Amino acid sequence: MNGLQLNLLAATDSGSAVLWTFLIYMIGVFLIAGLSNRLLQNRNFLSEYFLGSRGLGVWAFALTLAATSSSGGSFMGFPSKIYTHGWSLGLWIGSYMVVPICVMGLLGKRINEVARTAQAITIPDVLRDRFRSITFGLISVSLIVFFMTFNLIAQFKGGSTILKTLLGPIDAFTSSAASLPDWIGSLCSQGNEYLLCLVVFGVAVIVYTTYGGFHAVVWTDVMQGVVMVIGVIIMLPLAISQAGAVAKTDKGAGLEQVTRAMARMVPPRKGTATITAAQAGADVTVPSGSWIFVGEGDSQRLFKIKNRYDLTGSESRFEAAEIWEIVTPADIQQVRRRLESGSEPSNVTGQIKLEIEELKDYAYGATPEQAGSYVSGPGPSREKVDGFLPLSLAISFFFMWAISGTGQPSNMVRLMAFKDTITLRRSIFTVAMYYSAIYFPLVIIFCCARVLMPGMESEPDRIMPQMAVELTSNIGMGWLAGLLIAAPFAAVMSTVDSFLLMISSALVRDIYQRNINPEAEEKKIKTLSYVITMVAGLGALFGAMNPPEFLQDIIVYTGSGLAACFLAAVVYALYWPRSNAQGCIAAMVSGFAAHLSLYLVGFFQGNGFSPYRPFSIDPIIIGLAASFVVGYVATILTPPPPQDLVEKYFHEAS
Amino acid sequence: MSSPDAPPLPNDTGPRLTRVFLNSRREAIVIFGSWFVALCWSVPYCYINGYGHQIDPETMNTTLGIPSWLFGGILLPWIAADLFTTWVCFFFMKDDDLGTAGDEEVHGEPVAVAGAEGGAA
Repeated sequence: MNGLQLNLLAATDSGSAVLWTFLIYMIGVFLIAGLSNRLLQNRNFLSEYFLGSRGLGVWAFALTLAATSSSGGSFMGFPSKIYTHGWSLGLWIGSYMVVPICVMGLLGKRINEVARTAQAITIPDVLRDRFRSITFGLISVSLIVFFMTFNLIAQFKGGSTILKTLLGPIDAFTSSAASLPDWIGSLCSQGNEYLLCLVVFGVAVIVYTTYGGFHAVVWTDVMQGVVMVIGVIIMLPLAISQAGAVAKTDKGAGLEQVTRAMARMVPPRKGTATITAAQAGADVTVPSGSWIFVGEGDSQRLFKIKNRYDLTGSESRFEAAEIWEIVTPADIQQVRRRLESGSEPSNVTGQIKLEIEELKDYAYGATPEQAGSYVSGPGPSREKVDGFLPLSLAISFFFMWAISGTGQPSNMVRLMAFKDTITLRRSIFTVAMYYSAIYFPLVIIFCCARVLMPGMESEPDRIMPQMAVELTSNIGMGWLAGLLIAAPFAAVMSTVDSFLLMISSALVRDIYQRNINPEAEEKKIKTLSYVITMVAGLGALFGAMNPPEFLQDIIVYTGSGLAACFLAAVVYALYWPRSNAQGCIAAMVSGFAAHLSLYLVGFFQGNGFSPYRPFSIDPIIIGLAASFVVGYVATILTPPPPQDLVEKYFHEAS
Repeated sequence: MSSPDAPPLPNDTGPRLTRVFLNSRREAIVIFGSWFVALCWSVPYCYINGYGHQIDPETMNTTLGIPSWLFGGILLPWIAADLFTTWVCFFFMKDDDLGTAGDEEVHGEPVAVAGAEGGAA
């Protein structure tokens, strides 16, 4: 059991509070699915199952869009980046100030109208009918299924990891995982606890999505959206007051003290060491995340050992153990205080010997000339000598969030579902306020985490649950941690269910009904929709048992790739009467090819899944530029579209 | 969906572009412009004021506890963006009839026309 789990146990009295929170949450989700299934009766099944009968009101529309956009990354990856790189994450996320108005306002009204005119239920439906091109419909279906399948596997893994953090301290869970037969455990490369969480998470999402369809997804999104914002609102004042009290610098109060303390911070050093027992032959357990002081007096140094080691008579020495040295004096003091208070449970000083093999400073942020890197740009970076967020990358992220978000088919399909333009206007306003309440406060909260909990660089993905436990246990309300930890879990769930429905709608509506059996009876379509949704979910679940490497990079690849494929094609289809099928297909294919080719170059250069960035320009910008330019050129070089199509979608009825 | 206030196409006495299309295009241009303005303000402001400076913890500038370069480059424009969004949503965007698809549920309330919440026709 690691430090976090011990903390959770202590903070929640018995750990059962976390389990109860999770169970209540899941009961709520299934109740919503049951109610949604009742809505499927007496309505057009496909329209209701995949698009909610185009009747979403303000809260449903606003929160489903907000929650779907906020995947697990918002509550796991983003906090870990803030913790690791400091205030520069404010600029990294800065374009979220215009994300709601861009994502919903640029295409919303027009795509909704065109979808109604075409009687379209999916994005491929819109493109196929807008240009009367079966080929276009099939290409777009293929791209959606290709990208979404990868993304779904990655999101399933994210959901399982979060659930493992949530349920980890509960004895019933760990003993259940340990009692799984060996042949079941051998199916998964990530261990029994991960497998059990994957099955629980996967089956829950598959069942409620399959049974309830679009309305279940939307209303669970609403509930999940509320959980997320409540989590942030509770954490913000707690973080500022507690970190401010710890910082205690000479100047200012609260957050100012935190910022000034961060200005004094120097990034830790990462390295390896050989671990041996201090007394020869002694059995010593070194829990993961243990602290050890080396030396005496002013020359005393503090190290964190990342992984667990069991030193025994037969195995008394471990080489190449990952260690982190904390070098900021205030951080060392804070660790000392936490060890004394029991907040940090593992101090192995005196029990083991540490022979340092290698220690490396951060590539940016460690020298005196780069002092204050946590409170200035480009932010500290362990690998990159030009820092975490150089200028070119800052510009890329302004494209990434606002423009790439506009090009996501999962967002576009929601824009087809709102009831009327009053709903659209009020929803844009609602999402703008919602994002304002979440994203910048998250930057503040996890800057405070740097002061409160030094040394989390060794496991930054755990900073969100660890911070939730820290803040609530400090005020004697450990049970609240369950609710706060539910926020990232809710974020992953709301993304997974939407992607699942997109894949099944592509297969049922766009492939089967529109190409194979247009005369299929509703009963058959209904059965097929349930079966395909379940099969797609189970496929992703099995894929996530042995997930590929580079998962976070795959999520970035699929998100930016979808935008490179779809944005130009949809913009031309909606706003350019002269656009034709040839031009828009060229836009889609060229965006896909340009984006993919940069990843392939990066791969063949030996960078794994990190793309090649010519002149430090991100593939999303190059993919979008290629898509818009090629689409435009191909359109004007090919014949104009049939006049009746232009009249149907652009002209007033005479 | 006839619209008396939709401008005619140049040199064209034939069919008119739909009002939804014209309003959507006009709104999209303004919205895209807001993204561009945000980009042109935030990135240069943060770069000029927050990048590559040696920081003295005692004298560094903060506003409400936030580094001043981030306050002026992100938080202040974020507030401005929220005000702009409010204006767009309640005073600039038009209410249009989006039509009716055969598969949708029928909504009781009539669709409001332009100007219902401040949108000028």
